[in-house]
Amino acid sequence: MTLSTVSQKTIDDYLAALRKQLRELLDEDAKDIVDEIRTHILDKTSGDDSADTIAATLAALGAPEELASRYRTEALLKRAQMARTPAFILRSSIRWAALSLAGVVVFAVSVVGFTLGGGLVLIAALKVVWPSGTGLWKTVNADSTWSLGLGFSNHPGTGQDLLGWWLLPLGLLLGSGILFLTFRFGLWSIRRFWRPRAWR
Amino acid sequence: MKETQPPAPESSEKWEVQLRKGSLELAILAALWEGRLYGLEILRHLEGNSDLIVSEGTAYPLLNRLRTLGLVETEWVESDSGHPRKYYQLTAAGRQRAIEMSRIWARFSASMGGLLTPLNAEVSEELRKEEP
Repeated sequence: MTLSTVSQKTIDDYLAALRKQLRELLDEDAKDIVDEIRTHILDKTSGDDSADTIAATLAALGAPEELASRYRTEALLKRAQMARTPAFILRSSIRWAALSLAGVVVFAVSVVGFTLGGGLVLIAALKVVWPSGTGLWKTVNADSTWSLGLGFSNHPGTGQDLLGWWLLPLGLLLGSGILFLTFRFGLWSIRRFWRPRAWR
Repeated sequence: MKETQPPAPESSEKWEVQLRKGSLELAILAALWEGRLYGLEILRHLEGNSDLIVSEGTAYPLLNRLRTLGLVETEWVESDSGHPRKYYQLTAAGRQRAIEMSRIWARFSASMGGLLTPLNAEVSEELRKEEP
């Protein structure tokens, strides 16, 4: 089966345009897609490679931009569906950490961020349950140095609570802010730096 | 090569398009139930065994999505035609999903059938007229 030069050029141009539109994807994935579309066109036009058949085959696939945008949408949908919860971010970054240093960093930041944010929210919640025992405690030691302690104390009498009820809104606000930022950071780094191949 | 305009929102054609789109994933998984097929074979299978009109430009990206979801796996296989072809095959997760989806489908279509009983006489009359 030999295509005429003109037909061959039409097909090559279509595939080159498709390849260009798929540049956001990994090289390997884009090549796989283009190869598959090429075999599809060859199969459809084998035995009848008239200009009409080729035009009809390409029309059924849609313009390269259109076809590529369908592939991209599917890929984005997939990633958006997967990355929605802090648990997902932790789970993926653990796997990612096994593969690269970037993964280790993202995992460490996520663990610290989620623990810190979660801790602050928890302390704010404890303030409601145990107002007199929860606070930001300033304790003056015997040698007149002092230390700060945040959280739950069994000896509320020994220190001074610096925040009082302010702990509640501040803890909630700061805690959820940190949780949110950690979440966004994890999501962003996974989408930005983790090559989709590594999902599998 | 502009995409054809979608029909007006109130038309039943638009509803039909949505219905087809929604069923395409299950139809593809079902087509692969018996064994591996390449893209064009899947398309021909769907055209031959149903009136699901599938455009190539829709089917290939969907196949790619099924692959990234882990429901199918692909393999390039040499062929007599002179070029290798990309074959699709259900994974264990894909078989599982196909079964779940058909179960939902069967339940849904049974309850819909029940709801539509009052229209039966009318509809079968119309269908009889349409037949040559």
